[in-house]
Amino acid sequence: MTTPLGFMKSLTTRLADAGLPFAVTSGMACVFYGLQQTTKDVDIVLPDAGEPRVLDFFEALEREMPRWRVSYRPVFAAPLDRDYMEHGWTSHLSLWDEPNSAEHHLDIFCRPPRVIELERSAENPIFASRHVVAMMKRTNRDRDWPIVGALGWQLKERHPAQALLHLQDPQSLLDVWEVSPSDVRTNAAERRPLLRLLPDTRGVDDLSAWLRLERLLWETVNEERYRLYESAWRTFYRRWRLDDSFEWPTSEAIRAQHERLREAVRRFGLERDPLGAAGREEIYERAACRAIVRADSTRAKLERVRPALQEVLP
Amino acid sequence: MSDETAPPESEYPEAYYEYLARTMGEQQAAWARLSREERETELTLLHLTSDSPDDLALWPPELNGGRLPG
Repeated sequence: MTTPLGFMKSLTTRLADAGLPFAVTSGMACVFYGLQQTTKDVDIVLPDAGEPRVLDFFEALEREMPRWRVSYRPVFAAPLDRDYMEHGWTSHLSLWDEPNSAEHHLDIFCRPPRVIELERSAENPIFASRHVVAMMKRTNRDRDWPIVGALGWQLKERHPAQALLHLQDPQSLLDVWEVSPSDVRTNAAERRPLLRLLPDTRGVDDLSAWLRLERLLWETVNEERYRLYESAWRTFYRRWRLDDSFEWPTSEAIRAQHERLREAVRRFGLERDPLGAAGREEIYERAACRAIVRADSTRAKLERVRPALQEVLP
Repeated sequence: MSDETAPPESEYPEAYYEYLARTMGEQQAAWARLSREERETELTLLHLTSDSPDDLALWPPELNGGRLPG
């Protein structure tokens, strides 16, 4: 039986052979970086996810001997179409890489949240860099934030400028700031305004409070962002389920499933660009207002740690 | 483009593992001390012997946590 790790290696070898650029991220990348003990899903960034050759790739897997089976998963699986994938949707597939294999989950990002440029690990380029993983982990799940901080720790020697963006431990942040050249400080502070507070901080307790406010802002932005995709999918899915022809997913080959899903999103209206439709500035402002309330803070304080829109909702 | 300038996995200072223990727990910190090969071996054993939960858990409850047809 193929384990999730074996499946990841098998799949990534084939992606590389097919010439499709990709990077493994999230849980499996955290296993690679020594930060996550258990995960089964394989998450990949696939910049060409909306291109026809990606579907061709999965079809080719179905023709292998022994045969693979590839299927969309029941929920939240936007079609592998450029119109959706380039607007931040993710697509979720199940794959079986041999007749009696376990079901493997593959989650595909084309434009991963908060990632401006796809960087790869220098140690093994099949994995996304620590910086990319840390950006993707800025969610509203408590368990993700220790990973952000730990990736920052790992970057201290490797890439101090990026460490400054991710460290969550106040003393470590102060230590790295202390030894960073002024151009590195300036550039990092452009991306993380909280760093501008370091020269005048009144110690680690003071800095902890600013770090909590900053984290709460990222968490709330992610909540607002995610809610839009969730709501768009729910609305679409409810309409689709009422249709007499509803059946999802089917046991058909992946291309037939894909055509079925494309037809459904056309007929029952799955919003292509939830962020664009709601407006990024409006989403960010709503999140900022909520973060102030949740932190029992003030607008003036929040503005001191608030990153640029391009950082949080690129 | 890649990120880091020190490719080999290096030993981290003790303070790093203390940070992991403080934020993720002692077990996670102990696991992080293993070599990459040892970590992969442990994860493989875990996958072969238990049905650990899906990593993705934010689906709407009406959609059964993303595991079953709606």
